This record gives sequence, C-alpha cells and structure tokens, in this order.
Amino acid sequence: MNPSPFWNPKVESLTRPELDALQVAKLRRAVRHAVERSPFHRRKLEAAGVTGECIRSLADLRRIPFTTREEWMSCQASTPLFGDLLAHPREKAIRYHLTSGTSGKNPLRVLDSRRDWQWIAECWAVGFWGFGVRPADTVFFAFSYGSFIGFWGAHYACEKIGALTLASGNMPTDMRVRQILEMGVTTVCATPTYALRLAQSAAEQGLDIKGSAVNKVIVSGEPAGSIPETKRLIEEAWGAKVADTAGMTELGTICMFECSHQPGGMHIIEDHFLEEVLDPETGMPVAYGERGERVVTSFGREMIPVLRYRTRDLVERVPAARCGCGRVYDIYAGGILGRVDDMLLIRGTNVYPRAIESIVRSHPEIDEFQIVVAKANDIDEITLRVELKPGTADGWPALEKQLHFDLKEAHEMLRFNVERAADGSLPRFELKARRVVDQRKKS
Amino acid sequence: MTEMKDMLGRPATAMEAELLDVHARLLHLAQRTDLPPCVASGSEAALALTWQMANDLGFAVDGSAR
Repeated sequence: MNPSPFWNPKVESLTRPELDALQVAKLRRAVRHAVERSPFHRRKLEAAGVTGECIRSLADLRRIPFTTREEWMSCQASTPLFGDLLAHPREKAIRYHLTSGTSGKNPLRVLDSRRDWQWIAECWAVGFWGFGVRPADTVFFAFSYGSFIGFWGAHYACEKIGALTLASGNMPTDMRVRQILEMGVTTVCATPTYALRLAQSAAEQGLDIKGSAVNKVIVSGEPAGSIPETKRLIEEAWGAKVADTAGMTELGTICMFECSHQPGGMHIIEDHFLEEVLDPETGMPVAYGERGERVVTSFGREMIPVLRYRTRDLVERVPAARCGCGRVYDIYAGGILGRVDDMLLIRGTNVYPRAIESIVRSHPEIDEFQIVVAKANDIDEITLRVELKPGTADGWPALEKQLHFDLKEAHEMLRFNVERAADGSLPRFELKARRVVDQRKKS
Repeated sequence: MTEMKDMLGRPATAMEAELLDVHARLLHLAQRTDLPPCVASGSEAALALTWQMANDLGFAVDGSAR
C-alpha cells in the first residue's frame, strides 16, 4: 500500500512562498485561457485591461473583475442554453449538470470536458485520500446520481484511488442500510442530514450500524458537516469519524476538505483554486481569522473558466499551521459558516440557521426540525418546530423550556416560539436540506 | 517539445520526465487523422489523465489534441 498521507506530496508539501509562486503561474495560464477562449471573460478582461501577461504577482489578482451568479444567469438567459461563457464548443463536452437551485433562483447549466471530468475527480481524490480513503476501502454513495453534481466527482475519485465503489442510485433508505452492512462498507458518503437518516433507519430495522465496518463518514452539501454538535451526533450514531467537504456546482467539485487530523475546519486545495476572503460590502480582503465572503478562482476548469466568482459563502481563513498534518494548504476554520444571504432579520436581531442547528443538535432526542418565519400583526415571528425521536416524549416539557432558554440566550434575548411537530410530519432530505420556511416572502 | 521544467522553474525529475514523454507521445498520436474511433477516443481519454498528472506536478502542458 502506498504509505504517503498526501495524494500529491510534491505540491502538498511546498512552502508557502513556493505555493504562492505556483499560484501566480497557474493564474496567468487561467487568465490567458479565459481571454483566448471564452467570449464572456474576454469581454470583461479586455474592458479591465487584463491579459495573462499582466499577472506577475498574487496582488494582480485584484485587477480581474468579479464574476457573479447574476451575471452567469443573465448570460445564459440572453444566449440559451449556456451563454457565451463556454471556452470550447459544446461538442467537446462529455457531461452536463445543473446547480441545485438552493437559493431559489434559476439553476445554472454547466458542461464539462474530459479534462474537466478528470480534474473534478482529482480534487475529490485529494480530499478523500487526505481523510484516509485507500484502495482497500469499500465506499458507499448514498446519492441519487441525477443532474445535480453532488457526489458524482467523488464516485470517480474513489474509482481513481482504486477503492470498491458502490452507487446506490434510487435505492430506498432501508435497502441502502442493509447493503452497507452486507457489503462490509468502510466509508459512507452522504449529506449530514441523510447520514443521520440512515442511522435512524438502521435503528428502526434493529440493525447494528455502530458495530459495522464503517469507520469513515464523508459528508458534503450542507454546512452542518462542520457544526460540532451535528458532527458529534453522526460520529456517535455510526461509531465512525466524520469529515466535511465543500464545493459548488459552478466548479463541479470540492474546493476544500477535512483531513484525517480533523483540525476543526477544512483545508483549501490551493494548487487547484485561488481563494480570497473579502468583506462582502467593500470587496476588500479581510485578515486571517476574520469572517468574509469566499471568492474563488479555478485553475482547472476548462469548458467554463471561473475567475473571481462571488460564492456568497461566509468563511474564516486561518493559516495551515492550525493543523498538524503538515500540508501547506490554509484552512477555513469551522468550514462554511453560512451564506451572506441566509441571515434572517427578526425584530432587529440577526439569526443564522447554522446557529439554530447547533443548538438543536445539542439535544439528541430531537429527530428533525424546521424553522418557520412569518408575520403576525405586522411583527416578525420565528418558530422552531421539532420532531422527537420515538420514546422521548416524556422529556418534552423540560426540552421545550431548555430550547426557549438556549435560543433566547444565543440571540440577544430574542423570543422564539417552540413547537412540537407530529411524528413524521416534517420533511426529510436526501440532498441539501431546506429547513427554513420564510412565509414573509410569500406575503 | 515539452518544457522540461515545472512552473516553479525546477527541472523535471526522471519520473516526471517519463510522464511528460508519455504525454507528448499520446498528444502526437491523438493528433493523427487516420485513427479508428476506438483509438481516437481512447487516446483523448488517456490524454486527459496524463494532462491531469502533469498539471498536478506543476507542469504546463496542452490537455487535448483537438
């Protein structure tokens, strides 16, 4: 077995100045490719007076204009189906996928070339190898393999690593659990929400998933994978270590991963991405440890170059030394901390769904939850609806009181309504969970 | 000819030089116009892989024959 803890020891072991120099060289090539091949980027870069040759240091990155989702959508709307972003004719593509539309907007359409597909799998392989996936592993994907990119790239990464790779497609949850046990699966990949659902299904079927061969659960698709309380619940339910990963459909792959040292955050794959953390209002860089918006530039995307893309994800970047693994890659402490636009403003108080989830998951008797925001007599009201696990109803009065207290204390004494929902009444999710129902938007 | 230094200006090691040679030969093969479909598509697929390996190691190479 290959003893290297790093998928790419040459690059993952570079010094910071060497990595910076590599990023400059890769950025120059990425800009050159975009100018030569993509009409969308050529137009913008020419207007800004930027060519590949202008890129001589990382500071030159700031000469490149931002790309926004709105621009991408508008470009696709004016020139269906793909806009003029493509750097190669459609015939060169081998894959098509769509964004999940989490933000409620029109989905973006993405094409991948052969080279893109290799690169997509490669980025996942960096992360999976870093968390300890090896050829001897049996990896199970609790994923439906539709046009949403999800774990597609991870599946190919596992084949690339040489692991036995199981695709569960449209298999129902109970059958997935049985196959995990029957096949001696060592690594399960799912959203954090669905990892909990699988464990719950095992319990309902009287199956011992904690005593199974599963020793790694790799999650993606929701910020919950880096919420300590949620992570602990998954680890306890499975008797396995949990690693978070995060990416985006626009890129087709992950940009960050948690290594086997579990440093309380995710390493940025910095030889494939150039990540900035900026003040979302001013667009100016923030310092290490300060919260800001991720802005990403891809070095590997061929069909659709991605330059300075405003992700709207909130992160706090810290130096690589925070982790003991020895990689040069910096870390996003706590993973994706939320989105610039997912903050709820309730009677003058900022409320982040992630903070609520953190409180909810510290009570293991809660099975599922939903956050409902509505107007009552022109006043914003926020209600946490919770569904309890079987056999825990007796503790409800005390739990209700505790939730009221915890939520209020974490939100500048803002009053939350807390309701118990009927068993099985709240929606369950396999892909990205949508637990916030903002009824104010309808009115 | 493939540039035998990586993007940091370091000379290719023996292993890297071998990889770059394989990549260059595949690129040459894939550019031929008389290939049967099984070889044309297979060599393009292989090129995507060797491009990826070279790129991982910090070498700037062409990724496709077409």
